[in-house]
Amino acid sequence: MTEVLESRAEKRRARAMRRFDNPWWNPKLFWGAGLLLGIVAVGLWGRVFWDLELVFTGSVPLKLPPVGFENLRGQAGDWATPLGTDGAGRDMLSLIVIGAPNSLYVGLLASLIGMSVGIVLGFTAGFVGGRTDDVIRVLSDVMITIPPLLILVVFQAAYGDVSLTAMALLIACFVWQSPTRLIRAQVLSMREAGYVQMARLSGASTGHIMFREMLPNLVPYLFGSFIANVTTSIVTAVGLEVLGLGPQRIPTLGRTIYEAINAGALIQNLWWWWGIPTVLLAVIFIGLLLINLGLDEVSNPRLRRLS
Amino acid sequence: MTALTRLTASALAIAVGLTAAHAQDVAREDTVIFDLDRTIKDPENFNWFTPGTKRMHGAHQTMWEPLFILNYSTGELEPWLGTAIEANADFTEWTLTLRDGIEWSDGEAFNADDVVFTVEMALGSEELSSREAATVRAQVASVTQVDDLTVTFALNEANPRFAVENFGVRIFGSFLIMPEHVWASEDAATFAFNPPIGTGPYTFTSATTSRAIWDRNDAWWGAKSGFMELPAPARVVFLETGGEESRAQLIAANQLDAAQNVTVGTFEAVQAQNPAVIAWHDGYPYAAADPCARQLEINTTVAPWDDPAMRRAVAQIIDRTQIVNVAYEGTTIPSRTMFADYGSMAPFIDAVMEAGAGLPASADVGAAKALIEGAGWTMGGDGIYQKDGAALEVAIHVNSASTEYTRTIDVVVEQLNRAGIAARSVPVENGVFWGEILPFGAYEMSYSWLSCGSVNEPWSSMGRYTVADVVPVGERSPGFNNTARWDSEGAAAYSDLVAQMAALAPTDPALPGLTAEAHSLLTEEAPFIPLVQAAKLLPFNTTYWTGWPTAENDYNHPFFWWNHTHQIIHSLEKAGG
Amino acid sequence: MGRIPAQYLTNRLVTLGLTVWIAATLIWIIPRLSPIDPADVMLARMAAGGGTVANSEEILAALRDRFGLNDPLFLQYLKYLWNTVTFDFGLSTASFPTPVSALIAQALPWTLGLMLLSLVITFVIGNLLGALMVWEESPNLVKIAIPAAMVFTSIPPILSGLLLMWVFAAELRWFPLTGAYGLMVEPGWTWAFATSVLHHGFLPALSIVIVTFGFWALGMRGLMITVQGEDYVTLAKAKGLRPRYILYRYMIRNAILPQITAFALKIGLLIAGQVLVERIFAYNGMGKLLYDAILDQDFPVIQGIAFVIILMTAVSVFLVDLIYPLIDPRIRHEATP
Repeated sequence: MTEVLESRAEKRRARAMRRFDNPWWNPKLFWGAGLLLGIVAVGLWGRVFWDLELVFTGSVPLKLPPVGFENLRGQAGDWATPLGTDGAGRDMLSLIVIGAPNSLYVGLLASLIGMSVGIVLGFTAGFVGGRTDDVIRVLSDVMITIPPLLILVVFQAAYGDVSLTAMALLIACFVWQSPTRLIRAQVLSMREAGYVQMARLSGASTGHIMFREMLPNLVPYLFGSFIANVTTSIVTAVGLEVLGLGPQRIPTLGRTIYEAINAGALIQNLWWWWGIPTVLLAVIFIGLLLINLGLDEVSNPRLRRLS
Repeated sequence: MTALTRLTASALAIAVGLTAAHAQDVAREDTVIFDLDRTIKDPENFNWFTPGTKRMHGAHQTMWEPLFILNYSTGELEPWLGTAIEANADFTEWTLTLRDGIEWSDGEAFNADDVVFTVEMALGSEELSSREAATVRAQVASVTQVDDLTVTFALNEANPRFAVENFGVRIFGSFLIMPEHVWASEDAATFAFNPPIGTGPYTFTSATTSRAIWDRNDAWWGAKSGFMELPAPARVVFLETGGEESRAQLIAANQLDAAQNVTVGTFEAVQAQNPAVIAWHDGYPYAAADPCARQLEINTTVAPWDDPAMRRAVAQIIDRTQIVNVAYEGTTIPSRTMFADYGSMAPFIDAVMEAGAGLPASADVGAAKALIEGAGWTMGGDGIYQKDGAALEVAIHVNSASTEYTRTIDVVVEQLNRAGIAARSVPVENGVFWGEILPFGAYEMSYSWLSCGSVNEPWSSMGRYTVADVVPVGERSPGFNNTARWDSEGAAAYSDLVAQMAALAPTDPALPGLTAEAHSLLTEEAPFIPLVQAAKLLPFNTTYWTGWPTAENDYNHPFFWWNHTHQIIHSLEKAGG
Repeated sequence: MGRIPAQYLTNRLVTLGLTVWIAATLIWIIPRLSPIDPADVMLARMAAGGGTVANSEEILAALRDRFGLNDPLFLQYLKYLWNTVTFDFGLSTASFPTPVSALIAQALPWTLGLMLLSLVITFVIGNLLGALMVWEESPNLVKIAIPAAMVFTSIPPILSGLLLMWVFAAELRWFPLTGAYGLMVEPGWTWAFATSVLHHGFLPALSIVIVTFGFWALGMRGLMITVQGEDYVTLAKAKGLRPRYILYRYMIRNAILPQITAFALKIGLLIAGQVLVERIFAYNGMGKLLYDAILDQDFPVIQGIAFVIILMTAVSVFLVDLIYPLIDPRIRHEATP
């Protein structure tokens, strides 16, 4: 018995060593990236093989269920619209082929911009301090207190509609402050840490301290924060879309849910109308979560040893 | 910080402030619960002269009674607080007779003093800006009391429709009479009128932002004087429900007796769960028609749509039945004329149809193509008409506030494209649409319901497209009239006919003929194209109450947020006893 | 430690003032970039109700005057600033002539109650779960169950609200469908009213909690990983302190600091985010008010709400900045770099 246990432990250790050798070969990372690529793949596949004309109002019969189901009126699903149709006669498959990658796109773009701005400003504020800190902090305080909703409402009132990229840019205006503030708080905490004090005493330059001493220690947090920001951006975008704001003519997952709710899809048992976009959003979020968990293990050997 | 504290403190005080005495418990089967689709923004204010939603939470359905109520199926003006209203020969002076024995709920007598006082109040202050007050101010020159029950109105100019426009609940409300003994010492522009009193069979019990409660006044004058029996419900509640899904759940669970508009799919689902829920029609189209029929507005100053033949071609292409089936899921009917299809409009609609001046029953794309080709366009290889290298294009502006609007235009766009016109829909936000696009003529075509107005005579709608209201593009159309800027020989002839109609009483035998003649000019020149009737699908619950207005029991229309709801409440009977 | 230097306090106070001023200015400018004229909107509302509007030019002129739209821009701005400082946001255009401050005063207590309750619950649950995800001693079940629960984060709050309403209100009838309190309950300091409010508030609060706790958990997780590698944790372990003690006293206590900043910041976002939840439950708080105002283009109300939200957030951030040195002894407030 003990021998068996020992050999099992040995195997595990060996596996751990192998993983240790190649930290990027991480199943969580792999699966997370896989899910997100899957969304992209659905988008690509659909654009090549599916008739996207079906995304227009009235192009197919209304409220058809997915194949294998029946709706309240007793109509059965049809292979012409395998995932069913919505209440305005649009094909659900076409909607998600176009809508799902859109949500990912908005999230990635907004958070990429927001995060880059946040890192630069957060480090600068926390490390340089003084006037610079004040200016950056006031800026982020001001921006963080303005509800994005208001900006988008006014934007829509002024221009009638926004494009996906415009929405991503607008959201980016509201996701840089959080990383800025949080990174600043971390830097404030960290600059009192032993190794930074040491570097300072030994006369290292500000740049050296910031990027050689402190940045590596912030990496796990930065990665996590980036992915969290993608999530926040998507949630913000979806929140706006679900309010009926955001792009009016471009299919998005949030807008599909908005339309389903407004048309009373729950009581009519049209579960595919709101359920499919919700499941896709869940897939996107789970993918992001897994990447987040995986990245942590890649960058933090201690965690890997734990698992 | 102190200011914030003060704000918070006052907020708390208002939120939990002890509004009136505690409501007595009334059994559910004695209570009728109506749906309210808006928050009661200011539950402490009962001054209906200032705009806002201070009436539809029960105030003008249970507490304030109108003088007359227009019956949408017969066109009759039914007496209520008034017994008669008659004009002199040239419609410049009207004499109103009030019912005897009316009392305010505080016991004071209601009489001509109150009428004269209220009208003079509206005449005297520009700040009383609700639609009804503004209309009275625009029309009435002076008001005189003849005796306790008789009042005469001298008008600024002849108006054969004075009674129905002001005192007959024509659309939504009517000019409501206020008690002189309460208002006399107050500033009408700022008075909150709380606690409110009225002449109706219910008195105000309490209101918060989400609901208002009205309890029956068993000493109501109407029962004492033999005008009517006391209504059956002991309590009337107006409850804010919050969206289609919530109101569907509430009515299915019998927590609501009358719900606001829902889609047909929702209605079917509710009916499947609760068979006691009914609507205006037993089957399709279920819904009742709203007074504002839908139309496609065309800017007649923009080429190529300045050519009546091109506009007529568009009218020929549009398939109304498809709009009904796809955009409305069968809940409405195609328009036959520009008018709302009520029984009270039947004489005029019939006259138009008999004269062949109505809309064609079905689309005729062949005839449309002939018209377009006649205007010098040729079909291009991509299926779109072309002239001098330019494609035949049109942008249709549509208010994005409701999917009803956008879906209708999506269908129209599809139909136009198939016929060779490169149409596209331009959804714009509600405020931009009403504030910038429509009144200033900043569109080629747009979706609207601006011929709205007529419910018992043809002039109110037809009078909105005369040449008198034409202004250049970029200037505001007065009162949203003739936003199409229709100004041609035909329009001038039409305006002359409409001017003749303006001077005739709704019952004048010459009116239907003139209507048909004027409508044929509209059909010929098509400054706008009527599409379909507007539909309102209002679920009523018969679990506790029966006697709801329906197509079979058509004592009046079912819009229970209007002033005529007194009739509905009086008609309700307890289910099962 | 524990004493706040005067200069730091002044700095933060100036920042607070600047924040409020700049934000107030922004929310004034933005609606003016839009082509919409509030007087137009009111007139359009009357026209959309059906029929032509008599005396439209006269009404329009009166309205413009009433809204002060005829004044020069700079004067309008100064008036606005003064009014804002005194919590006078003007009159609502949609429910004219009700003052905006009265509308906000009616809605504020409901929002504060519902939102703060759900925010506190979410904060506690979220951070605890986030910490447990990283903690070595957590049972494996927890480590698997928590990421699974994060799936809820993907649901927009309106949908979670509708689903909860469907299951617990419509099907099971455990909770009421809509409203902030019972149909026949009169508001007041009574037991019946209090229980009614709690009963009605449960589902709206829950629908917010289940979709937001994931954020806190994720954020906490990242922070905990950072903290885990710190020397003082290693030291504490070496000293043989109980793991639970280390978790609370060493790890969570240090990791939670940035989360507290986030907590203050979340207040503003939450109100904007809970708009639809309030709408479907017909819960008359600020979110519902904002939603109605958006539909009606009621800019005075939008501005008023935005300002109150901004003020609340700015004040909470200010307070967090003040207590930061008290809870994190590692920070030294330097006046100059």
